[in-house]
Amino acid sequence: MFRLIEEPIDAAALREAMRRPEAGALVVFEGWVRNHHGGRPVTRLEYEAFAEMAVREGEALVEAVERDFPGVAVTCVHRCGDLVPGEVAVWVGAASAHRDDAFRAGRLVIEEVKRRLPIWKKEHHPGEAPVWVNCSEENTPVRRAADYCERQASLPEVGAAGQARLAGANVLIVGLGGLGCPAALYLAGAGVGRLALLDGSRVEYSNLHRQVLFEAGDVGGEKAVRAALALRARNPHITVEPMAADLGPGNVRPLITGRSVVLDCTDNFATRLLLHDACSEAGVPLVQAAVHRWEGVLQVFQPGGGGCLYCTGLAGSPAELEGAGNCAGAPVFGPAVGVLGLLQASEAVKCILERPATERAAAATLLLDLLATSITRIARPRRSDCPYCAAPARPKTARETEPEATLWRSRQELAEAGAHRVLILATRAEREQFGWHRDGRDCFDPTEVGSIRRAVAASPLPVVLACPHGIRSAALARALRADGEPRVYALQGGLADGPLVSPVEP
Amino acid sequence: MKATRTLQIRFFALLREQAGCSDLSVTTEATTPAGLYRELMASHGLTMPPELLTYAVNETYVPGDTPLRDGDRLTFIPPVAGG
Ligand SMILES: [Zn+2]
Repeated sequence: MFRLIEEPIDAAALREAMRRPEAGALVVFEGWVRNHHGGRPVTRLEYEAFAEMAVREGEALVEAVERDFPGVAVTCVHRCGDLVPGEVAVWVGAASAHRDDAFRAGRLVIEEVKRRLPIWKKEHHPGEAPVWVNCSEENTPVRRAADYCERQASLPEVGAAGQARLAGANVLIVGLGGLGCPAALYLAGAGVGRLALLDGSRVEYSNLHRQVLFEAGDVGGEKAVRAALALRARNPHITVEPMAADLGPGNVRPLITGRSVVLDCTDNFATRLLLHDACSEAGVPLVQAAVHRWEGVLQVFQPGGGGCLYCTGLAGSPAELEGAGNCAGAPVFGPAVGVLGLLQASEAVKCILERPATERAAAATLLLDLLATSITRIARPRRSDCPYCAAPARPKTARETEPEATLWRSRQELAEAGAHRVLILATRAEREQFGWHRDGRDCFDPTEVGSIRRAVAASPLPVVLACPHGIRSAALARALRADGEPRVYALQGGLADGPLVSPVEP
Repeated sequence: MKATRTLQIRFFALLREQAGCSDLSVTTEATTPAGLYRELMASHGLTMPPELLTYAVNETYVPGDTPLRDGDRLTFIPPVAGG
């Protein structure tokens, strides 16, 4: 609820109105009129509002915060007219089941109120002319975008023209994990005018050691939304557009269209190939990184900038590549994703600045090993016999697969969908621990990609892949679909979610 | 002859005081909010540097280079100071 009022704010009544049985925390912020500012006494404040627009913006703000923090109830009341020291100018209350969300939502509301509501205040000082706050350097430093990026724009390679180019740039970051977080942080800092963030997952506690945009209080929140909040706080001069969705064949083209650069910060080969092919087809520069344990790979693909991904001799299907130890849940050295993510930001900035190829990682593949502290640069020329560059039509159409939404099968859907074959992907230790092999089901070690693929191809029935938490099975199902196996699904929630009742096998 | 458009302008805070009015109807050849503001700086004695302003057309924030249409309600928004 948002209100703009002339009469004094009744804080006690507002607080009582926030009571609800499901709330375990109420965070209240009161903005008070103080009797001094910038070292001078203040006798009164005149608040002037563009009322129609302030109400509209205020209501939209409260609605957006309640949407981004599900379960949080927000009230914001702003005063206008003449106020004297001691009076409440603005009141914000956020009630929630848990304190983390209440603190964060409440803080966000007051910061956004100050940033975007068309409300102005005029300070009256005894014996001096009154002053409009923020409208002159006299009483408040004015924060300009040019000052924000001053230290970077003063580099001769950037300059005012380069900084303007960055402000006009539009970058898509796919994946907000260990790579996407630092990349986004530094692209925001570099003053990239528009940052679009794509990630359909939520923050987990085990992400925090390397995903530097998130705090413990973000656990359970949507990554795209939480990352956008952190980035807006870091640079208020840019536009950040969060999209809580996964990349798939159905949305990749509209998502990359019109971007200055796309950053691939994902952790699976199916998405990586999809992005590579779409960017290559659309002529959009792509900065790709991948990390495994202590090591990382960085590649920049752009028209006229060396060979494509397949020119590197990358062969095999996404499924086989996936099995080569690139899957979600693998061990990872935090600084390795940090370093690679920052290299992605650095290459993206140089790409936007159109720096010469000699200054960039263009036409090369960089291999980093943080355990050995080494960087290897491998030239990546375009190959005349490349299966993609030479015949681009084939792999593009081969990867038309079903949208992500149909990837998952819940236990309920399994029971209703008719006969399926279930393949269990579990290590020997997991099978023995949970006894999944005992009722005669098909069990595969998750690394046996070739066998899994043959089993899927040979099955006359649709196949559901099941693994302990759904991560491996989803990655493999995506990869197999990208390989042209449309009738393969992943068990939602994984095996750890409960017993596999009625698996509907013949 | 260049095309003109008639716009309803509202001024707030410092700009209202400098312009000497809250509402103004102008017929202009300017095509964008930023372009019109530069014209009004000269004609109405507005001193606020354009880089400090944001713009709203029909009560919605817009970039300064948004094309203006006949009949738009335009507001120049000085740095806000709510809270
Ligand atoms: Zn190639």
